[in-house]
Amino acid sequence: MRLPGKAVRLLLGAAVLISAGLAGAVPAAASTGYGWVRLAHLSPNTPAVDVYLYNFGNPSARLVLHHVSYGTVSPYEQVPPGDYTVSMRAAGASPKAQPVLSTGFWVSAGDAYTVAGMGPASGLRLQVLPDTLTIPNGRALVRVIQASLREHVVSVRLGGLMLARKLPFASLAPYRAVRAGTRMVRVAGETEQATTGVSLTADTVHTLVVLDGASGLQITDLSDAAGSQVQPGGGAATGLGGTAPRPAGSLLPWLAVIAAGALLAGGGARQYRHHRQSGPRPS
Amino acid sequence: MPALPAATLPAGGRHRAGGRHRSHRRAAIIAAWVLAGGLAVTAAGAAGLALSRGGGTPARPAVARVPAPAGPAAAIPWPSAGRPVARPVALTIPAIGVRTPLVRLGLTPAGALQVPASPAVAGWYDRSPRPGATGSAIIAGHIDSLSGPGVFFRLSSLRPGDRVYVRRADGTLAEFRVTTVRSYLKASFPTAAVYGPAPSPQLRLITCGGAFDQALGSYLSNVVVYATAISGSAARPIRLRGSGRLRTSHRRRGLRALRGSWRLRAARRLRFSPRLRLI
Repeated sequence: MRLPGKAVRLLLGAAVLISAGLAGAVPAAASTGYGWVRLAHLSPNTPAVDVYLYNFGNPSARLVLHHVSYGTVSPYEQVPPGDYTVSMRAAGASPKAQPVLSTGFWVSAGDAYTVAGMGPASGLRLQVLPDTLTIPNGRALVRVIQASLREHVVSVRLGGLMLARKLPFASLAPYRAVRAGTRMVRVAGETEQATTGVSLTADTVHTLVVLDGASGLQITDLSDAAGSQVQPGGGAATGLGGTAPRPAGSLLPWLAVIAAGALLAGGGARQYRHHRQSGPRPS
Repeated sequence: MPALPAATLPAGGRHRAGGRHRSHRRAAIIAAWVLAGGLAVTAAGAAGLALSRGGGTPARPAVARVPAPAGPAAAIPWPSAGRPVARPVALTIPAIGVRTPLVRLGLTPAGALQVPASPAVAGWYDRSPRPGATGSAIIAGHIDSLSGPGVFFRLSSLRPGDRVYVRRADGTLAEFRVTTVRSYLKASFPTAAVYGPAPSPQLRLITCGGAFDQALGSYLSNVVVYATAISGSAARPIRLRGSGRLRTSHRRRGLRALRGSWRLRAARRLRFSPRLRLI
């Protein structure tokens, strides 16, 4: 069966609308309405570039990083959810020039992304890496990006744990949950190796980046996210009520007092009148 | 009290007229007092009624005038982990007239967030990231004491865009911008959203709000203000790759890490060694 093109478009449009409606109907508990994007240059033999971050429908860039060279990472930029494009131009090129590379991606509220230029200069690509913000309680998360051309394949150990075995250049080993604590990271290629200590606090997320240093391999521990090492349970008892509006109590006691007062006054008035009238009058 | 009819009064002769007159006067005086007392009771009742209707909310004090603090701006957090920032010592929120030292907060034995002993100061939860470091730093303060307003009395009137300043022990100032103000029932407090990981330096200011349960002696809701670090230098990315010397220092730091208490020593070195500041 062949549907006419118009019908297909209509159906697609309806599906998009419905899914958008559904997405809007379920408020993400962890979301405060923002997402995060950071940009990185991880291609060893690519010269410096200018990197632009655009929000869909807005021709002026939300963020421009000038002269970004290999081994550079920006801090996270907090952005409203939506459709974004990252473009790379040669360093110093006009913002109106055709970008060398561009990639579009969707930023969801409450999610973080690293957009990295990866690969060799000849095969450079912009890769959108979703960063995680969900950590098993009391643990730390660690992943590895292999961005060294000096050693095309590396293995990375965290203490006794093999984080990445024979990780090829321009690829990524996914997050692993590990025990919190201070640990030694060893990265080993065919001929070179490097070692560094990392402090993995509970409730933190890390990306270990293997880079070409000036004279050998280099490991850098990037901070992806951090939370409270121990999450307090429930809310906080931060008020004693001294300024809380008092509840309006029952009116009956006051009405009873008024009624009693009125009765008393009425009786008194009557007696007074009686005795005033009967008193001085001679009988 | 029905008045007795005149006819039932004992019929006395003239010789008793003076005494009757006196007793009538006495009764009239008593009746006048009763009348006055009744009026007073009625007035007191009416006053009580009026107070119980309208008098619930104590007067709101005026907002203190607090200027934005000045000082060296905190550096944007190094995207590389493990670089310590100084501990927070004071909080200023000009929009609501807050200027307070920050005490350290831990957990209660029941595992809830400890709150400052004094309603007049705010506190930083010492197992959350330090303000200005990557992640969501937690600061809590009282909305009120038993008798009057607390340090965060006006927290819920903050609006997106308002500025929040945290002074750190090294004198630097971390500046934040309010993005969201929310109120949650304590019974359904979003622990993960408030205390969970965040990728950028953020602040969560927590106080009480909503209805006050007189029986429980506690507010039923928490107000949470979400703020994000103002990164005037957000467009300044950081090179992870350095000279051979840099790598050496990395490696040294690694070895120190294994020996323990490296954090303190690293902090000292970072603060006092101009060479390492170039990292």
